[in-house]
Amino acid sequence: MSIAVKEKETILEFLEAKFDPSEVEVISSINEKGIRNVNDFAFPTKKDEEWRFTDLRSISRNHFVPVDQAGAKDVGDISQYYLPEALNSRLVFVNGVFDAKRSDISSLSDNITIGRLSEQGDNEAVKEHLDAYTNYDEDKDAFAALNDAHFRDGAFIHIPEETKTESPIHILNIFTDADKAFYATPRVLFVGEKYSKATIVEEHIGLADNEYLNVPVSEYKLFEGAHVHHARIQRDSKKASHVSRPIANLEQHAEYHSYTICLGAKLFRNDPRVVQNAEEVDFTVDALVLIDGEQIADTHSIMDHRRAHANSHQLHKVVVNDNAHSIFNGKIFVARDAQKIDSFQENRNLLLSVDGKVNTKPQLEIFADDVLCSHGATIGQLSDDEVFYLQSRGLTEQKSRELLVYAFTLESIESMEVESVHKLLLDEVIKYTNRDEEFVAVG
Amino acid sequence: MLEIKNLHAVVEGEDIEILKGVDLTINKGEIHAIMGPNGSGKSTLSKVVAGHPEYEVTKGEILFEGEDITELDADERAHLGLFLAFQYPVEVPGITNKTLLRESYNTIARSNGKEELDPLEFEDYLKSKLEIIDMKDSFLERSINTGFSGGEKKKNEVFQMAVLNPKLAFMDETDSGLDIDALKIVADGINKIAGGENAIVLVTHYQRLLNYVKPDYVHVMIDGKFVKSGDRKLALELEDQGYDWLENKTMVNGEAQ
Ligand SMILES: Nc1ncnc2c1ncn2[C@@H]1O[C@H](COP(=O)(O)OP(=O)(O)OP(=O)(O)O)[C@@H](O)[C@H]1O
Ligand SMILES: [Mg+2]
Repeated sequence: MSIAVKEKETILEFLEAKFDPSEVEVISSINEKGIRNVNDFAFPTKKDEEWRFTDLRSISRNHFVPVDQAGAKDVGDISQYYLPEALNSRLVFVNGVFDAKRSDISSLSDNITIGRLSEQGDNEAVKEHLDAYTNYDEDKDAFAALNDAHFRDGAFIHIPEETKTESPIHILNIFTDADKAFYATPRVLFVGEKYSKATIVEEHIGLADNEYLNVPVSEYKLFEGAHVHHARIQRDSKKASHVSRPIANLEQHAEYHSYTICLGAKLFRNDPRVVQNAEEVDFTVDALVLIDGEQIADTHSIMDHRRAHANSHQLHKVVVNDNAHSIFNGKIFVARDAQKIDSFQENRNLLLSVDGKVNTKPQLEIFADDVLCSHGATIGQLSDDEVFYLQSRGLTEQKSRELLVYAFTLESIESMEVESVHKLLLDEVIKYTNRDEEFVAVG
Repeated sequence: MLEIKNLHAVVEGEDIEILKGVDLTINKGEIHAIMGPNGSGKSTLSKVVAGHPEYEVTKGEILFEGEDITELDADERAHLGLFLAFQYPVEVPGITNKTLLRESYNTIARSNGKEELDPLEFEDYLKSKLEIIDMKDSFLERSINTGFSGGEKKKNEVFQMAVLNPKLAFMDETDSGLDIDALKIVADGINKIAGGENAIVLVTHYQRLLNYVKPDYVHVMIDGKFVKSGDRKLALELEDQGYDWLENKTMVNGEAQ
């Protein structure tokens, strides 16, 4: 007698798969691997430890089609999203497809390679580094597999030795309105050679209020003494689902500072991973999350110390309003011989509503003995006394709350190196806190 | 200027009555002192006048320049010219003194149809006021009360008062915890602001401040009511004899029995 066992669900249940491997060999080999994996890896459920708190219904109740079947609308004028500091150092992808007309890289010096992955098939650096540092296959990661299977293009940035980008590089991913929910798989490969220096702003913007599934993979390789400031700004549509896989792999004396800003998406799952591959590195894995309505923002980060001497910091700041739900799981790994690690993790949550939810869990796995690791998590509310204090000085209740939320976020915003990003975030904080007033005005 | 009539107040949502029939009249240019034992309701009165949402007025009224302000929010009362120097000034990390004061000053100016000051003008204005409390410029750039010593917090309240120039200020134990130098500075500050069009209410436990700031009236609060009012001499009597001799008296029509 045989018992029918339901096959495990894969991500393919929720989308119309259209995978045709690239003609570019370095990409097609990854595509083929991805296609195998995507058929093999299970779609996560709440039974998986790494997904315990995360409600995936915005994906599993949907059916996503390839973007060319979605009836995607024209993109129109998006110049308002261009960073003034990066007017001539910008790559634009619309719904995952490169947009040459809106991209402009004229300000970058000739020895810097920046452009489309699909045009770099013969580039030795691409051959060597693309998909070289991810461990997503070991993790049986269905989302990374989808990106692997589906991506045909992406951004490639290569900074040669002793070279510095004069202006920040803006990788702008735009998503337009469409008739049907679609999926997209943006990809970034960054290689910073010895003693190079770069500032990268990776941004995801949804122009409308539509559903889509955004599954980006970013790979950053930093060689000896390379310095990178990496800002990632997620302003997807409030109905989008965004599952992100950014990884950085660091060689000796490298400095990698990353800042993730989460504003959009109904579901945001971000698994940043920094791997220390040689001694004496310095890195940051900060985030600022501002969510409300029914938004879910879930960060599962890994700070992976494999060698001696590292300084690593993680400040994860979250503001939750309405029914929104923040999940934070911060793993700090220190391998057996990785002595003299100084690692610091802090998760601070500000709850603005009674129905908001916060799950937070540090996870330290330390196998060396001479290390300094500290972690902490706080969940707080705006105190009535603070609000009253400001109000008694003449500020409206709204303004008082706004200032207090602003003060809470300030530390994160001030880490932004690019002036216009700094300003943009201040505006976003005001928009976030002002929203109630608008609601009242409408209701 | 301020008229409080038979004011009763409870903690919002609870049955505890804290103010049990307070009457108080304050005119322009006057300085009043409120004294009384711990827990008698002095801070509560100050906060109720400032509009703290934690308390609910159940009876009576508060008139400011003839207008009933009982239902107004704290910020609206500030716009009318009321100020509260807190007994326990709140620390607000991340917002500088300057940011708060500019926002305060301009909001109040706007609501009174007065001209706002641009950042440069405001900077100069602030510096002129800093002298009153003998503080360095760097004070402006620090987060509100964050990491301030007890004395600095109190000075900061006086500084804010000087900047906002309120018509009526309640100063809740601004003198507590000050060393002799700071006390003189705070007293000087109060004297510069008091008088003329402005009125001040000093909530205090000590005669000390009243050596430098001369009140026109002294009121004694016990168990949520004023049980005795008098002139400066009353403060000296209290210093000598404590409150015991007043505790058992009840007021009937304003007369101690
Ligand atoms: N929010 C509150 N909830 C409960 N009780 C309160 C609250 N606020 C004040 N009280 C009580 O009301 C009474 C008066 O308090 P208040 O702070 O006004 O006293 P005070 O005269 O200022 O005392 P002190 O001289 O110690 O500053 C006290 O018994 C206090 O515990
Ligand atoms: Mg008190």
